[in-house]
Amino acid sequence: MSSDQNHLKETDTEARFEFKKEQNSSFQTEKGLTEETVRVISEDKDEPEWMLQRRLRALEQFQKMPMPTDWPGQPDLSEVDVNEIVPYIRPDVETRGSVDDWTDLPDDIKDTFDKLGIPEAEKNALSGVGAQYESEVVYQNMQERWQDKGVVFMNMDQAVQEHEDLVKEYFMTKCVPPSDNKFAALHGAIWSGGSFVYVPEDTTVDMPVQAYFRMNSEGMGQFEHTLIIAEENSEVHYIEGCSAPKYSAFNLHSGGVEVFVGEDAHVQYSTVQNWSKNTYNLNTKRAIVEKNGRMEWISGSMGSKATMLYPATILKGRGASDNHITIAFAGEGQNIDTGAKVYHNAPDTKSTIESKSISKDGGRTNYRGLVHISEGARNSSTAVECDALMFDNESTSDTMPYMEINESSVDVAHEATVGKIGDEDIFYLQSRGLDDDDAKQMIVSGFIEPITEELPIEYAVELNRLVELEMEGSLG
Amino acid sequence: MSAQLPASLSEETVREISDGRDEPEWLLETRLSALEALETVDLPDVIQTPGRRWTDLEALDYEELVDPLNQSDKTERVTDEGVHVLPFTEAFGEFGDVLEENFGQTLDPESNYLTALSTALFTTGTFIYVPEGVDAEDVKVRAEMNSKSLFSHTLVVTEDSSSVTILERIESGDSTEGDRYFSNLVEITTGENSYVQYGSLQNLDDDTYHYTLKRGDTGVYGTINWIEGNMGSRLTRSDVETELNGDSSETQIVGAFFGHEDQHLDLNARVWHQAENTTADLVTRGVLDDEARSVYEGVQDVGRDAWNTSSYQRENTLMLSDESEADASPKLIIHNHDTEASHSATVGQVDREDLFYMTSRSVPERTARNMLVEGFFVPVLDEIAVDEFREDLEELISARLR
Repeated sequence: MSSDQNHLKETDTEARFEFKKEQNSSFQTEKGLTEETVRVISEDKDEPEWMLQRRLRALEQFQKMPMPTDWPGQPDLSEVDVNEIVPYIRPDVETRGSVDDWTDLPDDIKDTFDKLGIPEAEKNALSGVGAQYESEVVYQNMQERWQDKGVVFMNMDQAVQEHEDLVKEYFMTKCVPPSDNKFAALHGAIWSGGSFVYVPEDTTVDMPVQAYFRMNSEGMGQFEHTLIIAEENSEVHYIEGCSAPKYSAFNLHSGGVEVFVGEDAHVQYSTVQNWSKNTYNLNTKRAIVEKNGRMEWISGSMGSKATMLYPATILKGRGASDNHITIAFAGEGQNIDTGAKVYHNAPDTKSTIESKSISKDGGRTNYRGLVHISEGARNSSTAVECDALMFDNESTSDTMPYMEINESSVDVAHEATVGKIGDEDIFYLQSRGLDDDDAKQMIVSGFIEPITEELPIEYAVELNRLVELEMEGSLG
Repeated sequence: MSAQLPASLSEETVREISDGRDEPEWLLETRLSALEALETVDLPDVIQTPGRRWTDLEALDYEELVDPLNQSDKTERVTDEGVHVLPFTEAFGEFGDVLEENFGQTLDPESNYLTALSTALFTTGTFIYVPEGVDAEDVKVRAEMNSKSLFSHTLVVTEDSSSVTILERIESGDSTEGDRYFSNLVEITTGENSYVQYGSLQNLDDDTYHYTLKRGDTGVYGTINWIEGNMGSRLTRSDVETELNGDSSETQIVGAFFGHEDQHLDLNARVWHQAENTTADLVTRGVLDDEARSVYEGVQDVGRDAWNTSSYQRENTLMLSDESEADASPKLIIHNHDTEASHSATVGQVDREDLFYMTSRSVPERTARNMLVEGFFVPVLDEIAVDEFREDLEELISARLR
């Protein structure tokens, strides 16, 4: 191994992500999901009556809807039993709500985030940071100069109190209704924590805001809600990171993300998720884009036992555009079912989807995508490109795009390729003195480079380390 | 979802068909078993995306469409030296054993409601048998449908080191009142190192609902090339499938369609790579005009033991009208990493620049558009080995463009 590479490995990535803490909470609900649980969560958060009513309606929908089981090749969800999940855990933090000084956090929580490198990231590059531990946001900070411009970045529970009108109007009403799917309904009933971002007209937040979600307790579910409202001609980049250590019981993460991109506004949503390999990651993320607005989704899906995640964009206004960049990595026992959904509902709209996946040791990656072009969405164009790299014949990689084209004046293209890692490339690198593992790792890094180069440097490094971790020592 | 069993269907109906054709006992048993399966098997799967089914086969009124005892067709069969091309009824004597051994082996009669219905009721079709070492280029089957419903079954069996090119043409003959239903099952079993090209050109009238499943199974070093041309019918559901079971075997599925008025074309090309060193190439080109709608699914499934697979798929649709709709889902399902696979699909309209270029050279706009549409089909036409087939298809395309 070259000295450069040794240097890269100095940070013990494994220790960084896999450590876990004693469970330490001040309040938690019983396992399972009843009307009582929902009322208790709402009451514990001092919510207004309308939010409680929304939760209860979502609960009703959840109980009525069947589990999604009929998609070809979808992950097996038979193990997901909501009655076995603790939907809400309030960590033992003295301050009611979140604190805005890192040093005020209890040591064990602070340690957790220190190990994940959150405070450093904040110091270096971010305009705001929120950190969620279990069900509650425990730390929230926003640089003053952004606050002065009217930018809001706070935890979602607090936003229900302080920005009630906005939340009432936008929260699971127009973008992700609970009826969208069973897990959106579940989310609507027991959501807790998450981020609220509001960027006023003509404001550019030129440093990313970041939220970090961490599940630490065994058998819990995390259901954070993220609501981003970018008014006309504004710009913001939101980054979300997720992780959870490994426990024997399964965890459920069912987040909800709603993004409103105003006229001429630009929102970038980046996420690197590395849930532990017993987590079911069943998310609903959706954006509505007005005239000439631009939405960008960048996501790296590394961890979890099973992921079902298809960020959706509705291009509502003329000239709106959307960009999806996704990367999935499935190792042993993992099924990463991810993709993108785009609805072209106005003329002159554009979308691009670029998806890369890697599968090894029996892992399974799926690209599942839907591009819909409505009648009247003239001069719209979409280009989808999927590449899959496979390491062995125990692994599986599927590409299932769906294209519904109702308008003739369009330009639609889909392309996908699958291939094994090139023997010739490996031979070439080996003949230059690299060992087999390093050669493969280098090829994978090159393969995902189009994704990493879109991420802020912190995340690009993290993604590369995660890939290294996945690749380490497990190749023959 | 299962369809309602038509009341006109009973064991007596099936026995009457079989007795009238002097069939061997095993075929009657196969028919009766298929009839029984109708109670349990489902209609073929159709693609569903949120809020919609892409083709609604449940909506067909099978009770109204199926009239099993009044089937009528006029079928002309042209054979080549050394090849046996016979209606089933004439094949039971000499080729009884080959028939029994191969019938329903590649295409499971009970795979869905429509295949079971067809197996229970078929009265026409062809048995094509190519003995070892025979090379034949000129086998033709021209079928005309002359009744409310018609069920056809074609079985092709080729022995080792043989080759054959078959052209099938399906049209409507005497018109009958109301909606009609044509069902066409084709199965091909090949020996080692055997080559089959099976071209099918369907130009049924616009009152006819059309279901076809064509399925081939390749031997070692074998090749099955399909050409599936769909021009006519009110609704077509066409599935063309190859299982690459022999090492180093190949398949090509070439599709061409042209939908107009309110035609609905649900076209599927699927290939399963089950052996080593196999190659597949799926190419489909289609044009939609008026309110026509196309649904396309292409599946490349690479099995765990399919080492060194090459698999390619391309689908292109050209839309001539805003009222038309093109839905596509090209799927890759890969279980072996030693694979080179790709697929692509595009939808677009006639290139404006090309059109501008031609009109600026004083070609009238309509003519220019028609020329570009004809040109669009060239990559598919190039794959057709039979001159007659290519010319027929070209003619049907240009007739539609007038």
